[in-house]
Order: sequence, then structure tokens, then C-alpha cells
Amino acid sequence: MPKKNMTGKASPSHIMIPARSTHTPIHSIFSFYSDNSLHTRLLTRSMFRETGHLDVALHPYFDCPDPGMSRPAPSPFYTLRGAGAPLNTLHFSCHGGDSPLLFSGSGKGAIHIWNLNTRRAEKIVESHAGSSVIWVSTLQATSTLISQGRDMQVCLWDLSEGRREVVDSVWTGSVGFCQCSMLETSPRSYLLAFAGQQSEEIKIIELPSKTPVCTLVPDAKLGMVMCIKLWQPDSGPGPLLLAGYEDGSVLLWDVTQRSKLSQAKAHPEPVMCLTFDPKRLRGISGSSEKKLSSWMVDRQNNLQIQECVTLVNPGVSQLCIRGDGKLLASAGWDHRVRVFGWKKLRPLAVLQYHTDMVQSVAFSDHQDPKERLLAAGSKDQRISLWSIYNEGADTG
Amino acid sequence: MESTEVRLSVSRCLRALTASTDNADIIAALQTLRSYLDEGAESRSSSVQRAEFRRAHFTRTLQFLVSNIQADWFHSLTAAQRSELWDGLFLRGPPEQTLLVLMQGIGDLKAGTNLNHLVSIAERFLHSGRLADLLWSYCLGAGPSDSPQLRETLLGRIVALPDLTANKLHPHNKPLFLPQQYYPLLATEMLAALERTCQALRDGTDCSLTFVAQTLGKVCIQGHSGLVLAVMAPRLSVCTRSDMVWQRVCWKLLENVPQLCVESVLTGLVQAVTGPEAFGRIIGNLVSTNKKAQFVITHKLLLLQYKYETQVLRIILGYLAADRERRPLLVQVLRSLSQAWANPSAVKHTPLEQQLYVSKALLLSVSLLKDSELQELRSDLLQCMLGGMQSHLDSSVVRIRRMGMVVGECLSSRMNIGGTQLKFQYDQDEETRELLSLMTPSTADEAEAEPLNRVEESGETTLSPQKESSQNKSGPQPSKTDQDSDLDSDDELTPYDMSGDQEISKASPPRYLRDCLEILISSEDPERVELSLRVSEGLVRKNVFATREISVQMTKVLLHMEDKYSINSFLSLRQATMVALTVTDCIPVTQYLTTEFYSLNYSLRQRLDILEVLALAAQELSKPIAEKKDLCMSVPASTDLTPYPGDNPVHWRQEVEKRIQSKTRRLRKGATQPPAKATPNRYAPVAGYFFFPLLRNYDRPQVTFDLLGSDHLVLGRLIHTLGLFMHLAVNAPVAAQMGRALLDFVWAVRYHADQMVRRGVLFAVCSVFLSVNSQNLLVDLSDQLFETRIWLADVAEGDPDADCRSLAVQSLVLLDKSLKKQLQDQQALGLES
Repeated sequence: MPKKNMTGKASPSHIMIPARSTHTPIHSIFSFYSDNSLHTRLLTRSMFRETGHLDVALHPYFDCPDPGMSRPAPSPFYTLRGAGAPLNTLHFSCHGGDSPLLFSGSGKGAIHIWNLNTRRAEKIVESHAGSSVIWVSTLQATSTLISQGRDMQVCLWDLSEGRREVVDSVWTGSVGFCQCSMLETSPRSYLLAFAGQQSEEIKIIELPSKTPVCTLVPDAKLGMVMCIKLWQPDSGPGPLLLAGYEDGSVLLWDVTQRSKLSQAKAHPEPVMCLTFDPKRLRGISGSSEKKLSSWMVDRQNNLQIQECVTLVNPGVSQLCIRGDGKLLASAGWDHRVRVFGWKKLRPLAVLQYHTDMVQSVAFSDHQDPKERLLAAGSKDQRISLWSIYNEGADTG
Repeated sequence: MESTEVRLSVSRCLRALTASTDNADIIAALQTLRSYLDEGAESRSSSVQRAEFRRAHFTRTLQFLVSNIQADWFHSLTAAQRSELWDGLFLRGPPEQTLLVLMQGIGDLKAGTNLNHLVSIAERFLHSGRLADLLWSYCLGAGPSDSPQLRETLLGRIVALPDLTANKLHPHNKPLFLPQQYYPLLATEMLAALERTCQALRDGTDCSLTFVAQTLGKVCIQGHSGLVLAVMAPRLSVCTRSDMVWQRVCWKLLENVPQLCVESVLTGLVQAVTGPEAFGRIIGNLVSTNKKAQFVITHKLLLLQYKYETQVLRIILGYLAADRERRPLLVQVLRSLSQAWANPSAVKHTPLEQQLYVSKALLLSVSLLKDSELQELRSDLLQCMLGGMQSHLDSSVVRIRRMGMVVGECLSSRMNIGGTQLKFQYDQDEETRELLSLMTPSTADEAEAEPLNRVEESGETTLSPQKESSQNKSGPQPSKTDQDSDLDSDDELTPYDMSGDQEISKASPPRYLRDCLEILISSEDPERVELSLRVSEGLVRKNVFATREISVQMTKVLLHMEDKYSINSFLSLRQATMVALTVTDCIPVTQYLTTEFYSLNYSLRQRLDILEVLALAAQELSKPIAEKKDLCMSVPASTDLTPYPGDNPVHWRQEVEKRIQSKTRRLRKGATQPPAKATPNRYAPVAGYFFFPLLRNYDRPQVTFDLLGSDHLVLGRLIHTLGLFMHLAVNAPVAAQMGRALLDFVWAVRYHADQMVRRGVLFAVCSVFLSVNSQNLLVDLSDQLFETRIWLADVAEGDPDADCRSLAVQSLVLLDKSLKKQLQDQQALGLES
């Protein structure tokens, strides 16, 4: 434990080492510390290994000029190392402020805030008393960070002006891995949906007032809540909630009516993840099997199962649709990220880099489409950044 | 006084007709005769005279006319006179007498214009509805007080009219006299008579339906019930729907059907009506008043005959269930059905179709019972279920087993034994689905349902679109992007190379056979075991020398291997490898397998596996080698579910069919195909190793394995396999010996109770006749052939199983063919020398 604290404190000074330092011979770095005692040197070395700055590598980005040929599989644009623990969740925040940021939550309770310009962790927040962080998000208006940990707490952080303190926290009581879902209803208030203490129950509260809005429990036994997604339909009055359950069902709930609108059996296995495109009213869910199942919410608010995509290897941990509704990315248990065209679910690319399960994928919300990135966080403690299909309308 | 007057007048007329040559006299005489038939006020004769003429002189007159048809005066009449006077006599008078005379005349006359005239009169007689008049006159009881003989003759003439005319007229028969037209006509005439009866009953007149009932019975018993009742049943069903008089007439009609004919009428009727309600309306409670009807409906149609469709069963049982008076009969029927279903001897010895029929009836009647009645029958049903299930599941025929499972499930679910119910795993097919569907009462029984219903339905359909449109308004609408998104479809995104996206497997397959064996013996890692099993066949075939070293050991390992990790298509993989081993290192492996077949401590499954492996290996060995050069490459790649072939012996039979096909000579012009390249048969030299060891020990029962006792499943399969070895050994030198041994072997079990065994025996005999060449057959097996022939003829005639019968016929044909060929060859030889 003391070693880890040390790392936390020491890291800012190392963050500043530029990327080119990879090319600096190791001995010269040691010579930099040469006047220190042996003890310090050993410590330093262990720190290097922990934070992994020496490993930072710049991968060349291939762009094949001939679009007719099938292009060689892409390589990562950049890799972020040094999280020191499996990465459970990623969140981009690129549209406001000065520099684009990537938030990542690790299996040891650290939330890294990566500056995408310098490609260094700008800030590391130790949270949730060391338990795994399963979800991070930020509010658009303020510089508030929300994180969910496996210590059954959802914390709101104030990070402005260098602060890193918990402003508020909510006790969820959920022992599962279900990630929260947040919906900003007005600049001041927002809804937070999370799995409750009972395995099948979903609670929705309004923040920051912490007023409970409702508790949704299905009539039938569907097992644990696995994943949820709050969204606001264009035409309807209140927000709706999509939830995937352990028995493979996806349910559509009306939050204001507190009633189930429809149900569809999307998978034979538990629903591991789902995502939804409110513009097309179409969503997709993944499971521990080889299939992604896409579905539609029709005019009568009925869920209708549509086509399936078969994967080569089973297991999907997260799905993400790019902001412009063109791409879908899946984080596979087979160490690969798969990219599909969202409209027809045509497979476009298989991103192979990681050496362990990919647990999270995210598309950045850059305002300039050319800067958009895809990030994948894996159990192998690395985050890979990919720059694909982001040059204008028709090329990759 | 009147009667003598009439008699005198008639004889005067007839004399005039015989003697006179004057046309006017003849016409006058005919007019006088005709006048006795005229009704009404303008008639010249009194009603008493008319009645006397009809009673006593009409037949005589007609007979006279027919016998004088060739007379000159007949031909000198004008057409108008002839039809008015001559024909009129036939068409106006009492119809029964006319019919008798007409039929008599048609029978007696020689072919010619006179006969044609009579035939045309008969046609007009039928067309003008005189049959209805005839029937009606008997209904009124106004008909002549006839003797039983006369009535019988009349009935015979009415019913057999098509036969009589066809016999006489041969190709000149009229279409009206064909059964297809005549019997529907007769049916409508009967309906007309019934209609008049109803009318008369409403007016308070008494009627007798005996004659109509006798006609109906006679028609039906002569086998024309289909044609007649197809017309009558729908009409009766409609008429009886609301009309009580019609119902009473129908009931009376059926009560009056002679005992002898009740069965044929009822079976015809039950096939002609549309539903149990209609059946009940037409026959009323006949089943409880008439012993014969009760026997037919509750016993014969359900338990003895089985050719009817399910609809008939529905009608019968629905009919029994519909009325309070008949319900005890339903309970009684259910008792006897359940006994019939559960009877172990019936399961073994009755044809499968009958068992299916009884099962259907059982399920239908169970579904019709009320819960209280079920309680009453509970113990009977439980007994039936337990016993019957056992004997069905014991059967070696898949369809019977499946039938047992379905019926067991249905019975247990209906009986609600302590909240538990049976649940079996079986493949659904048409038959099981039909059986299961019988448990849900069918609602669309009556096609001609009340018209009221239809109005309601159409009202509903008009309502539903409104509901839909009202629903349309709620719910979110997909935004516009969906419509114009054809522009930004996925196509513009060029995919990257995705060939690297392979399935991840943690272990790599073994490369050497010994490694493979090692893993199969000792590994606990499911993935490695599966991979080894998948590559093992390829390895065995690739390294012949390595295989020879460990073939027996590996066979032993595979034979004892269990599907511990539920590997996909485990059975076929294991089997393929064992076959490869047997083919590669034939003699030691067959020795091992044939010895193990009779040794202790194997499960039935393993013994069957041994047989299947041997059969497949023999098949592969007997094929020309050239066909399978790319076998090693293709087999490991195919991971999809291949159906495990051992579960049905059909492919063996297909093989036999093929052989028979190939024996058939076809005459065809054009270039013949080049003859196939000759390759050595690898099976012929080793056929004995496959065959003879399996013939040993079969009659020595062991603690775990009693081939001639309860393990008849294995026995059937063993005989099949032996037959296959025999069949593959065609042209091998050892074939004659094998044939003799096989005939000896199957002789003991030729009348085995299990049909699978009998099928196997017949298959084996077929293959003996196919494979042993005809000379050897006659010389070596001559002593057995005679007995075999008799036995085959017996089976072909009397076996309850249809497959057995056809196989026996097939073997008889083969045997005859082969003997004939041999005799011809000998004759040819004799001529030459």
C-alpha cells in the first residue's frame, strides 16, 4: 500500500516526461537519478514499472491509398498505459474546456483523467476505497464527475480548480456489475438510474436533490438487472428506460408511468450490455454468446427483435454507437474490438491489439469529426486509441 | 261386380290388341286401358274400377305390352300416340309394378330398338321422380299388401338397377344408370319421400318408414353407402337442425333399418356427416336402443377396424359424449380402449396403424371426459398408463415408443396425479403433433355452422383496424433521419481486412497419434479432449504404420470413452475414428471387437456401437478405393452436426434397394458408359473375420447380456449387421459358407416376437439370396430352401408388420429369380452338351 500511495503522489512529475523519452536510453535516465541513494533508485525503477512511462509508444498509422483493395487491419493510433489495473470503463469529454479528456475507471479504484493532447494522465483520483470503479461520467454543464464503484456507492466529484473531493454520494445497494445510466433533463437537474438492492429492481433518482423518482421491478422473474439505458424520446412526455436482464430479456419501461411498456427475449444468455440510438429508435444488445441482437422500438412502444450479427468468438462486454450514428463498436471477450456500420450492421473492422478481454469501448465527442477517436479499455491494463472512419464522409 | 267388369274390359282390350289389325281398334283399346289410370273428374271409370285395375290387372297389362313390343301395331303407332298411350301406361301406373315389369323386360329382350325403347322409358321413369312416388306409396302403407318375396325382389331391383342394366346393355349403358348418377338420384328420391313423410306427419297422417329404411340398408350393405349418404347426410343434418319432426323421422328411419344392414349404414353415415352434433341429430339415441348399433359404434369402429380417419373418431366419441344417456357408454368405451392400449400382447402383435388408431381414440375420449368422470376412472387409467407405458417403451420400434410417450404425457397431464406429470424427450413429428392436438378439443368441427356466427365475426374484423389506428397515435415516432438515411448507408464505409478474426482456441490439436491417444486416456481438459477427438480420425488414416502399433489399444479406449464433456457430435466423431481404425488395421481390431461383443460388462449402447463400427468399416472396405482419396482431409474439418447414423437401419435397406435396382435390366439406346475400372475388393478377403466370430456364443446368456431373451434390440441389430456383412460379401469366395451359416443362425429366431428382429431376419435372408450366386444356392443350400420358401410365404401373408410382409415378398421374388436363372443355365448347359 505505501508504494502505491507513493506512486500516486509521484506521478505528476513523471507525467511531464515527453513521449520522445522512449528513445532516451535507459541508462541515461538512471544517470539522471545517479546522485540518489540505491534505495531511491530501486524505488524509482519500481515506479517506472508501475506507471509505465517507459512503455509509452507511438504507433505508426497506416492509411492505404487504394480504397478498392481491402485495407490491412488498422493499428492503434496511440496506447495509454500505466493505469496499473484492469480498465472497466471509459468516458470522453472533448467538446468543452481547453484540452480533450478521457476518463477511465480501473479495477483498483483509480479514476485516471487522461489529457488527449499530452497523452498523459493529467490527474489520478483514488476513489471508492480501492474497490473497482465500474462507471464514470461527467455532466455537460459543470465540471462534475460521477463515478460508480463496487463499494455500492455512486460519488459526485468536484474537480474544478484542482480540487478532487466528493461532493455527494448515493448508496445503491447493488452488488452486481450493472452500470448506471444518466440523463440530463435540464441544465440544473438530471436523472440517475441504477440497479437497486433487490436483484431485479431498478431505482431512478433525481440529482442533485436526490429525490427518488421511481423503483421499477418486473412482475416476472427475470434475474438480475445487467445493464440499463435511460433516454428521452423526441415525441413522448417522459423518459424511457431500457434494461437488460439476466435471463436474456430486454424490457422497455416508462419512467413516468412506472410501468413496463414491452419486453423482448433478445438472448438465451444474460444480456451483458446494450446501447440505443434514440434517433433511429433502434438498439442492440450483446450477451455471453456469439450473437449481437438488434431491436427496434416501434410506434406502439413495442420492442421488436430485428436481425442478429454473429461474431466469431462469444462474449461482448460493451457496445457503443458513435455520435453521428454511423458506427457501432463492440468490446469483445476475445481481446478484440469489432467495428460495424450501424445502419446495416455490416462488419467493417476487427481491431486486434489487446492481450486480454476488452471491457470498454467509447467514441469521443470531438466537435471536429476528423479528430474523433475510438478508445478501448482492456483487462490487460491498457487503453488503445484508434482513429478510424473519421476523415470526412466516405473514407476511413 | 265392379271387379268382373274391369276384368272383362281388360281382357277385351288385350284381345283386341292381339287380334285386331285395324289401327283405330288398337288405339281405342289402349285408350281404354289408359283411362283406368287417369285421375280426376273427367275420368271415364269410377275410382273403385281404377283401384281394381291397379291392383289386379296393371302388371298383366304391362307384361302383355312388353311381350308384344315386336308386334306390327306397335310400330305403326305415331310417335305422339306411342308416347301418350303406350309410354303413358308405364309412367302413370303404380310405380312398383312398372319398375318390376320394366326390369323384367329389359332383362328378357334382345338388343335392338325395342330394348332401346324400354330403356328410354326406364330413363324417363327415373327422371320423372317415380322412384319417390314408389317409396312414398310404401310410406303411406297404401302400397299393395305384398308378400316378403315380392318386396325383396322389388328392393333388389331398386338397389341393383345399375348392375342389372350394365349386365344387359354393356357398352350402350345410359349415363343415368351408372352408379355415380343413379345412387345420388336414389338418395334424393329417398329424401323426397322423407320430406313428404314429414309433411304428412304434420298433417296428422301416419306413415311407415320401413320400406325406405330397407332400401337404405340394402344400398349400404351392397357397398354404395358413400354415394348415397354423401347426398343424404348433409341434407338430413341441415333439416334436423331445428325441425323436431325431421329428427323423429330420421330416428325412426334408422330404427327401421334391418339388423343386418345397421353396420354398413352407420359406418357410411359416420363418414359422411361433418361433426358429432350432426351425427347425434340424425341417429338420436340409437346406440342405446339398438344392440347392434351399440356394438358397431362402441366396439367395432373403435377397436376392430382402424382404417378410418381421425375425424370419424372425433365424431363417434363426440357423439357418445354429447348426451347424458350416452355418457356411460363413453366411460365404458374409455375402459375398453385403455385396456386395448395397454395390452402388451397387442403392442407386440397388432399392426402399428391400429395401435396409432387406438391411441388416437384413447386420447380423444380422455379429452372429452369431465373431471368427475376421470376421478371415477382414475384407477383404471392409472393402471393402463403404467402398464401400457411399459410395454410401449419396451418396444424396439421408434414410432411405438414415441406413441407411448405422447399418450403417457397426455394421460398424466389430464389426470393430474398429485400435481406431477410425465415429460419425455422425443422429436416432434407429424404423428406426435397430431396426437397432441387431439387433447385440445377442436372447435371448427361443423363447417356449416349457424350463419349468425359469421355476421359476428365479420363485425369484429371491421372493428380491429380502428383499434390499431387509435394505437398509432401514442408512442414515439422515429425521427426523419430514418427515411433519408439511404444516402448515408453503411456502404460508403470501406471495410478493413478482417481475415485475422479467427476463433480463439487455447490448446492446439495433437500432431501425433500417440499424443492423441495419451490425451484421450488421461487428459481432464475438455478442450484438449475435444480437439484430439476431432483430429484422431485424420491421424489414424494418415499414419498407417503408427496406427497398426496401437490400433487395438486405441479401439479399446474409444469403446470405453464416455461423453464426459458433452462434446458436439461426440458419437459420430468417436465412431468415425473407430471405423478408421478398423479399416486401417482390419484383422486385429475386428478380432478385438467381435470378442468384446459377447463379453461381460458392456452396456447395450457399447454393443450396438461395436456392431455399427463393424458395419461401417465393412461398407468402407467394400467400396472401391479411388472414391475416398480426399477423405482424410474433409473429415476433420466438418464440425457440423451429422446425424448419428446408427439410430436407423434405413440406409442398409437403401443399399438393398440399390442392389435390386442394379439387377434390373434397362434397355436403352446410345453410347454405353465406359466400364468402371476394376479395383481389388478389400473386404472380400477379410469378410470372415467380420462375420463368423459374431455367430459364436449368441445362445449363451450372461448375467448382463441375454441375446435371446430381453435384449432383442441388440439381437435385431446383430442380425441386420450380419445381413449387411453377407450382402457386402457378394462375389467373395466365402459367401456360400456365410450364407449357409446365416440361414442356420436366423432359422431359430424367424418367428421372433419383436418385429425389428423379424425385419432383421428377412433382411438377412434377402441378402443371402442376393449375395450367394445361384449355383451355390441350389447346390449347397437346397435342403434349406424348401422350408425357407414356405416360411417366407407364410410371413408374406400373415405378418402384422407391413415392412416384414414386403421384405418377405421381396425375398421370395429374389429366390424365384435366382432359382429360375439356375435352372435355365442348367438347361442351356444340357443343350450344349
